[in-house]
Amino acid sequence: MSPDPPDDVDARAEEALGALQAIALRVEIAGRLIPTGGRAVLRSIVDATVTLFGAEAASLALYDAGADRLVFEVAAGTHGEGVVGVSIATDEGVAGYVFSTGQPIALSDVAADRRFGRATAEQTGYVPRSLIAVPLTDDEGTLGVLEVLDKRSEASFDLHDVELASVFARQATIAIRVSRLDRDTASLIRGVLASAAGSTAGDGPGDFDIDAIVAAATRGLHSEDEGALWTVVDTVARLRAADPAQLELVSEILGVLAARAERAADARSRRRAR
Amino acid sequence: MTAEPIGLPAWSAPFAKDRRPDLRRLATLEQIDRTWAFGDARGAGVRIAIVDSGVEADHPAIGGALTRSVRVELRDDEGIIVDDDPVDVVGHGTACASIVHGLAPEAELLSVRVLGPDNRGKGAAFAAGLEWAINEGVAVINLSLSSRSEAMFGLFHELADRAYFAGALLVCAANNVPVASYPSLFASVVSVAAHDVRDPSVWYYNPRPPVEFGAFGLDVDVAWRAGSRIVATGNSFAAPHVAGYAARIRGAHPQATPFEIKTILAATANAPES
Repeated sequence: MSPDPPDDVDARAEEALGALQAIALRVEIAGRLIPTGGRAVLRSIVDATVTLFGAEAASLALYDAGADRLVFEVAAGTHGEGVVGVSIATDEGVAGYVFSTGQPIALSDVAADRRFGRATAEQTGYVPRSLIAVPLTDDEGTLGVLEVLDKRSEASFDLHDVELASVFARQATIAIRVSRLDRDTASLIRGVLASAAGSTAGDGPGDFDIDAIVAAATRGLHSEDEGALWTVVDTVARLRAADPAQLELVSEILGVLAARAERAADARSRRRAR
Repeated sequence: MTAEPIGLPAWSAPFAKDRRPDLRRLATLEQIDRTWAFGDARGAGVRIAIVDSGVEADHPAIGGALTRSVRVELRDDEGIIVDDDPVDVVGHGTACASIVHGLAPEAELLSVRVLGPDNRGKGAAFAAGLEWAINEGVAVINLSLSSRSEAMFGLFHELADRAYFAGALLVCAANNVPVASYPSLFASVVSVAAHDVRDPSVWYYNPRPPVEFGAFGLDVDVAWRAGSRIVATGNSFAAPHVAGYAARIRGAHPQATPFEIKTILAATANAPES
């Protein structure tokens, strides 16, 4: 038996739907502004790592909580690609150790010992001479592991490299977390709806049509009367993707247009004054 | 039966006249050098726990010094200690053990494997492993890992105090990133970072805590999994050097408390300008 009168429930549902629509709008805007989402962030991290260390390759593994394994998501450099898609246990190998303990490690002469190299080569097709593995950690916890392979200028990585990689990984972790927030908001909406359905439907979440609620919350996002909003959003998204030279050009054009608009406004007010 | 001296509260009893023969005094700092501290002692009679990824018993670099292997199993988030095969799925624990064994070859090694596949419970597993080592009555515990979990602060603080009072010296690798990590930043432990001098017999004392000791941790030739060897860099390879010397001190001075061993380590550190 429900303690609330039906009218009250309807009013609350209306209010909740309004809030969900507002969230859905923001998620849609965020999604359009960052079209490639999390993957682009991960790729930029490994690309930056290779440049920063003058390394042959870099790779990034994230923890998959469902499978309780570390999965290599992206890699940069000619020798790095083979590792993408490889998954390892969280208590295995160098990456597993670094993830589980939060303790960074640098290794060298790795390939010199064939017993060590063989196991690695079987998984990735490539055995580095040297590597650094650092945890992707911030105050919230550890998301995965960043590996830097084969510094071009030296036979091994030094203590300064380990520290630099650790600090860089901390910044990368924050970037990954921000990009995930966007992605997770959609699943959060579903989660909230599911639990709300479970608490109001009485007989559990099974008899409540979640998809119908999501459809209601996102209805109107693409309607014609909001067309101007989406034109602006899409334009901003294109501008964000443009290179600096293009942006400068656009900025100059906008400046000229603004100046012309001001002159026109001045002319109009002078005409009115006469 | 001897009556307790009248007028002295319980904590004062050890200092009563008839009990004072049981007290002890360290040599003066001027008298303490490495010959006094450990001389030819090679760790005989000392037991050291390696709380890590396991230790490979038949690795040539371990020289048969491993006498017991346990691991932590999590049941309902509670760590249970079970006997383990003397294996190391990573190599890191074997690396730490090989460093300790190289410095204190007559010391007995115990392996506490705390890296489990269940990442969520790693703090609990780590704490359970540490508690077991303290209860075993070992003299030195090498920890190359720490927990960053604020939720674990109280438990690790209690364990660090218990180790201190039970006569077990905790030697902890400092984390590379200056964030809170326990127990490596507690006052009662010996917290170690790597220095850049390529000499295993060089260690420094830093009077500015929390990381009070610097030891060899750059390009260290260590044992690794499957009978292999690699060259490794990081604070987690510096800590076992201090643990090894602590074992030799304890071997030469079987009554030495963690406080006394830490004092002796500071007194026998390399001169700041050497």
